[in-house]
Amino acid sequence: MRPLDPRLLKHASAARWFLLVGAVLGLAQTLAIIAFAWLLSQSITLAVNGESFARLRGTIAALAGVVVVRAVIVWLLEVAANRGAAAVKSQLRSAVLDRLAERGPDWLAGQQDARVATVITSGLDALDNYFARYLPQLLLTAIATPILVLLMLWQDPASGITVIIVLPIIPVFMILIGQATQVVQRQQWDALQRLSTGFLDVVGGLATLKIFGRDRRQAARLTDLTDQYRGRTMKVLRVSFLSGFVLELAGSLSVALIAVSIGIRLVDGSLLLGVGLFVLLLAPEAFLPLRQVGAQFHAAADGLAAAEEVFAILEDDDVRPVATAPAGLPTLPTRAGVLRFDGVTVHRGEATPIDGFSQEFSAGQLSVISGPSGVGKSTLIGALQGFVPFDGALWLDGGLIAPGDSRTWLAWAGQCPGLFSGSVTTNVTLGSATVDDDLVATALTWAGAGDLDPTLHLGVNGAGLSGGQAQRVAAARAIYRCLALDTPVLVLDEPSSALDTDAEDALIRGLATLAAQGRIVIVVSHRPAFLTAADRVVQLKEVAHV
Amino acid sequence: MSEPTTVRHATSRAAWLPSPAGRAVLRLAQPPARRSLPGLAAGVASVASAVALLACSAWLITRAAEMPPIMFLGVAVVGVRAFALSRSAFRYLERLLSHDAAFRQLGALRLGIFARLLPLAPAGLSETRRGDLLTRLVRDVDDLQDLPLRVVQPLATSGLVAALSVVGVWLVLPAAGLTLLLSLVVAGVVGTLVATALSARSERALAPLRGALADDVLEVVENLDVLTAFGALDDRLRRLRLVEDRLRRASLRRSTGAGVQAAVISLCAGSATVLALIAAIPALGTDGFSGPALAVVVLVPMAVFEVFAMIPPALSAWRQVRSSAERVATAVPEGVPAEIPAEPALDADCRHDTAVVAAPALSSGTIVIELDGLGASWPGATHPAVAGVSLRLAAGDRVHLAGASGAGKTTLAQTLVRFLDYTGSYRIDGVEARDLAPAQVRRVVGLCEQRPWLFDDTIRQNLLFARETATDADLLDVLDRVGLAHWVQSRGGLDERVGERGALVSGGQAQRIALARALLADFPVLIVDEPTANVDAGLGDTLVRDILSAAGDAGRAVLLISHTPVPAELLTHTLTLTAPTA
Repeated sequence: MRPLDPRLLKHASAARWFLLVGAVLGLAQTLAIIAFAWLLSQSITLAVNGESFARLRGTIAALAGVVVVRAVIVWLLEVAANRGAAAVKSQLRSAVLDRLAERGPDWLAGQQDARVATVITSGLDALDNYFARYLPQLLLTAIATPILVLLMLWQDPASGITVIIVLPIIPVFMILIGQATQVVQRQQWDALQRLSTGFLDVVGGLATLKIFGRDRRQAARLTDLTDQYRGRTMKVLRVSFLSGFVLELAGSLSVALIAVSIGIRLVDGSLLLGVGLFVLLLAPEAFLPLRQVGAQFHAAADGLAAAEEVFAILEDDDVRPVATAPAGLPTLPTRAGVLRFDGVTVHRGEATPIDGFSQEFSAGQLSVISGPSGVGKSTLIGALQGFVPFDGALWLDGGLIAPGDSRTWLAWAGQCPGLFSGSVTTNVTLGSATVDDDLVATALTWAGAGDLDPTLHLGVNGAGLSGGQAQRVAAARAIYRCLALDTPVLVLDEPSSALDTDAEDALIRGLATLAAQGRIVIVVSHRPAFLTAADRVVQLKEVAHV
Repeated sequence: MSEPTTVRHATSRAAWLPSPAGRAVLRLAQPPARRSLPGLAAGVASVASAVALLACSAWLITRAAEMPPIMFLGVAVVGVRAFALSRSAFRYLERLLSHDAAFRQLGALRLGIFARLLPLAPAGLSETRRGDLLTRLVRDVDDLQDLPLRVVQPLATSGLVAALSVVGVWLVLPAAGLTLLLSLVVAGVVGTLVATALSARSERALAPLRGALADDVLEVVENLDVLTAFGALDDRLRRLRLVEDRLRRASLRRSTGAGVQAAVISLCAGSATVLALIAAIPALGTDGFSGPALAVVVLVPMAVFEVFAMIPPALSAWRQVRSSAERVATAVPEGVPAEIPAEPALDADCRHDTAVVAAPALSSGTIVIELDGLGASWPGATHPAVAGVSLRLAAGDRVHLAGASGAGKTTLAQTLVRFLDYTGSYRIDGVEARDLAPAQVRRVVGLCEQRPWLFDDTIRQNLLFARETATDADLLDVLDRVGLAHWVQSRGGLDERVGERGALVSGGQAQRIALARALLADFPVLIVDEPTANVDAGLGDTLVRDILSAAGDAGRAVLLISHTPVPAELLTHTLTLTAPTA
């Protein structure tokens, strides 16, 4: 892991802003630390040398002032870190959403969509700690440590040199011990995950265990496993805790060395008390940021891991053109009211799920595409929608459909209902500027959902409807678009897989009416009722895979 | 599709104290005193060494400036070096000891939760069985480990050392002890309580926005194809930006409160030093209060506040542990509802399965089950889920239990294996089932669940726990009976893993593996609950046929639950269940 990922600065300008503000505040904090140490050592020295309280009043007042300034800087730094985190998260989120819109559903299908959603919402929250705890310390290591070391060198070269010798030991040892234990630590981490999954497995399968009378023995196994895990882990921890030990030892031992050396030089008069105390107070401050960076390393790693996933999405340059333009195809004299697939071929990596598909679908007909599952029916629809890149040509009413065209002539319902929170009406009228209640009622009736209350409110992802109801609302949504925008083509992908026969019959009647109005109606289905009702059945056969 | 989690953010009802039920869970997570004390002692020694190191260094330097003969400094020199070493050494020891104690407790904690789950499962846990809630429960149990390590340990050591330091400074100069105490109390009260209130307020403001954003993002991401196809994507993204913008602005507004705690603690730490100066300088020279002593009382507060810095993260860890404990306590209530038959408690060494409990012996040979006016209710329900069921089931019977969804078919199955208690009569070979130990009933009556649970292990292990003595030949034989022999061979044999929750096998294969498992256990009475629920329609009929032919032999009785028709020639009779009228 790099201490600071440059991609963060590239994709989120707010991170650059935070680094700038943080650097200024870090510098201010360093100055406050120095002022505090100097004023405090002066106060003690003067007091010990017999100055009266009255004459020290000014110094102590200045010290109190520095205390207030220091607290304000601490506050500002945290505020800046919080604002920086909020702004960066917002920027990354927007960038990912833009990317999604730009790349389209087919690209998203290659990602795990639930994972994408988690990463850009709660996943990015891990950046909070990265900004609040880690980055400020990293900045201080870069700003405060060199300044303090130089100051100590100037004030008391012996102490400065001690710090210069000890400081590099910390990262070197941490890296050495880290490397020595990395493999074992990862194994232990995996073991811990397995143990946790094992517990999940036992708890989830409790009923099964009880049925087979194995519940108690499983409990014993659980304890045994945890115990074995503890034994192995403690062996690893004995080594990996050494890095923390070295970190602390280097810090405290060098302070001890400096204190003793100062003490001895004070006795022979080669050093003044004021300087000695000043250096003693500065020494731990020189070590502190580096120690904090070490301690906050894991918090930072979580945040960067989340950012990493965002960058992977943003920098995925596997650009698939939405569709390749057909070269040199003659303009065929296609009749009006005909949707024509001309040698449509879809490549999926090595496989070719659709190979040279050529068909005509005519207005006024209910056409059914059928075939075994996995044969590429939905891929074909994806090509029609312009989501899936394909070779070959698509014609509608004699005109060539250009790859990037918007599909205003198409109304569609997919296999997953894909509903949203809101009323049934807002779902049915999705994408329409106006709401026509009569048309909504018609669409619902033709989809076999005439009994559904259009004002019914649905939860997230259409929660609250049964599978069959959701499927009918999705069909009604496509029918509404078809009627409202007067689209010549209506495509439904497996619209009745969760419907009972009555609802299926109603849907078939509705689709037949739409076809009779002179539309091209295509249904992907293998249900007997649809195959019987179809004016035309297109069988899609499995193609040989490359 | 993942459902929105209902427990997304813990409310800060009473931010500090756990409920009695939560306390019982927390007790499971905290190691007993004899285990936690060594780590605690090492922790106190380490933190006290840090304070002593600064005190000793301050004294050494100030005393040295008085230019005494060097031998008077010997003790201080040794002290400085010793405290520098002991601080790191004790810290290392503390981490080892406390982690060891925490890991030991993890076993006890898991066992304790398991012991509470055991009598409830599955009927008392219907809520928890949903995948995401189950995962949440296990994660909460894991998070409870933080109680000894991140809450008790830092709070106890820092609190103790801070108190010791106050006493120490008091002994040198009472006024300085007082100012240190004052600064610590102010830092404690303002720095933690006020900060908690601020962060709770900010959480209350942000949580709903965060939830709204998560819901919107999920809808957009999961339905990107729909939004694109309907030309609604731009509109939807605009709406999403508005929500996101509101969250961003709310976060920015709340950010001013975020640094208050750190700033207050920094201010108190500085004040403690300044106040010590003000208290100590006038006292110089009185009562033998010397320069070196002044340096000590002025500098010690700096070290004490470094120790104090452990408290805020410990308190925020406490808030998380507390809400985890509350969630566990809610998900796994103590005590068993009346609707669930009582089971013997998990014994101390829990090595024995309950199959060997003394109870009226069942006659060997063919077993007859008789239900007469049987009824059952789910915990917390106001109406029974089944009522007035009468049925006689003898060896060789193959009965189809039909009925619409919600008619109580699964309830009846759960009652027959004693996951639910019953009213009326349920006799096994003439013995009333409630007079038998539930585990004993389950040796006679087996169940193939609607959603069978496969363990994340090999096919062999998933079968073996039904009968440990089975040989590989037995296993292959039973797999053949359920029509899986070829599949298992093509997949790499018995060592093939089934994946987490059976993710690597299809729904139909999982059903068949579960059936093989039940056949291997050789239950005289086997209930198969909706075996075709997760199977493609075309394959369902074959599966039912295979089940009835595989299970309906050797004098076994089979009760097949299915809401779809079953070919009559496979059955001896059919019982149709209707939901009891409320």
